Amino acid sequence: MPGDLIIILDKVSVYQNENLILANVSLTISRSEFAYLIGRTGTGKSSLMKTLYAELPVRTGTAGVAGFDLRKIRRHEIPFLRRKLGIVFQDFQLLMDRTINENLQFVMHATGWKDSILMTKRLQEVLAKVGLQTKGNKMPHQLSGGEQQRVAIARALVNDPEIILADEPTGNLDPESSEGIISLLMDISKTGRAVLMATHNYAMFEKYPARTLKCEYGKVIPMD
Amino acid sequence: MKNSDQSYQKRRLATSYVTTIISITMVLFMLGLLGMLVLHAKNLSDYVKENIGFSIIIKEGVKEADILELQKKLDKEEYVKTTEYITRERAAREFSEELGEDFVGFLGYNPLLPSIELRLHASYANPDSIRLIEERLIAYPGVKEVDYHKPLVDEINQNVERISLVILGISLILLIIAIALINNTIRLSVYSKRFLIRSMQLVGGTQKFIQKPFLAKAIVNGFFSSIIAIGLLLLVLYFATNEMPELLDFQDLELFGILFALVIFLGIMISWISTYFAIRKYIRMKTDSLYS
Ligand SMILES: Nc1ncnc2c1ncn2[C@@H]1O[C@H](COP(=O)(O)OP(=O)(O)OP(=O)(O)O)[C@@H](O)[C@H]1O
Ligand SMILES: [Mg+2]
Repeated sequence: MPGDLIIILDKVSVYQNENLILANVSLTISRSEFAYLIGRTGTGKSSLMKTLYAELPVRTGTAGVAGFDLRKIRRHEIPFLRRKLGIVFQDFQLLMDRTINENLQFVMHATGWKDSILMTKRLQEVLAKVGLQTKGNKMPHQLSGGEQQRVAIARALVNDPEIILADEPTGNLDPESSEGIISLLMDISKTGRAVLMATHNYAMFEKYPARTLKCEYGKVIPMD
Repeated sequence: MKNSDQSYQKRRLATSYVTTIISITMVLFMLGLLGMLVLHAKNLSDYVKENIGFSIIIKEGVKEADILELQKKLDKEEYVKTTEYITRERAAREFSEELGEDFVGFLGYNPLLPSIELRLHASYANPDSIRLIEERLIAYPGVKEVDYHKPLVDEINQNVERISLVILGISLILLIIAIALINNTIRLSVYSKRFLIRSMQLVGGTQKFIQKPFLAKAIVNGFFSSIIAIGLLLLVLYFATNEMPELLDFQDLELFGILFALVIFLGIMISWISTYFAIRKYIRMKTDSLYS
């Protein structure tokens, strides 16, 4: 059903500056779908993600994400696209000048949460999901790499977004924690959310099979 | 390495904020001075007019009793504020002091004439009245000549105007400097927070949301500057009234309140508006190009 498609790319080329990274990308992802994005390092997984959250401009083809036309999107609309997405950045992008709680609250404030009791409740809920319920008052630099990564995941989940773009969300985690995160993301996708997860963690996607897209030779190709 | 670089940046930024505050303070100080000048242009010119007065030079050989009689008559005239009798001895003494040399001893006699220094009420200190008064003074017996500095009155009025223009010009230049400094400060500030700003943008922070703390800081800085400027203006006022007590008219206190409120308002506006445009510009720039 096309109505259920929430990411639609048709013949999109992805550039970093003037370098063509991926050509003619065509793919769709629907609500409730979980998809892996794999490929060797430097093949353009993060670049594709950046295209989806309008960090890289779409110059050719058509691209629609969560109802936004990425060819036509205006600068001032980009924040509103991003609020519909939950993005786990490969480099975390935590706000280093404030605590974990305040990191999550920043996103919640930006998206119009007002009731501080509800905010605190939601905040503790997502931190518990990633196993960080005791770390809310710590500063990011006081956490380990894996803990920071889980904060980034919690932040992406806090608004219960329609789409989750997770760029190597388990890159810094031990196998056990990685499994926890993947099954968490899969569960979330079953509640009607689209999840695209870039990963090098081949062991995991054998254990948790799902639709898989591969970046290779400047193309995105589906795998069976 | 990274840490020392960061603390260097922080120090640079702090210096830059201080410079900004000083520059806004200077603009406000000049504008405040202009305001005070305008408020007191009348008081000032009255003061000067009342202090110009005339020198009435008495003829050779007039008796001291007659001079004192003349002084009494003058005191009764309605246009006279004060009179002062200067004997020829006093004139010689003052002139000697000015020269730094005993010219009377040198010449062997005192060539100076006695005089009466006369000061006018301000309301008579306009060119027309002064001319009439001069005619009447010269008609008194025993008066040799009447000196007054007519051009001075006009000069003062012109000077007030000219000084106003100069202050306005200086204020304008200082304003441009202040805006340039604010622009630079914001550039440094955005650069030092570039990672934070980028993260905020990535998680959906709008420009308005991200620039809010910068603008809040701008308002605080503008306020600070105005307080310092007002302090300086009060200092100037204090010394000016010490010199010329007539300058401060207590009925003007309300006007001063308005002037100072205006200074605060201007300070906040200058800081806020310049920061607003600078922050818009720099947040939009790709962080890579901020420093090229
Ligand atoms: N800001 C940039 N400017 C120029 N080229 C870039 C930039 N970022 C990435 N690239 C290039 O684009 C290509 C794809 O990078 P990308 O980060 O998308 O790879 P990736 O598949 O995510 O790799 P990894 O698995 O290591 O995260 C690489 O060759 C990289 O050198
Ligand atoms: Mg990557």
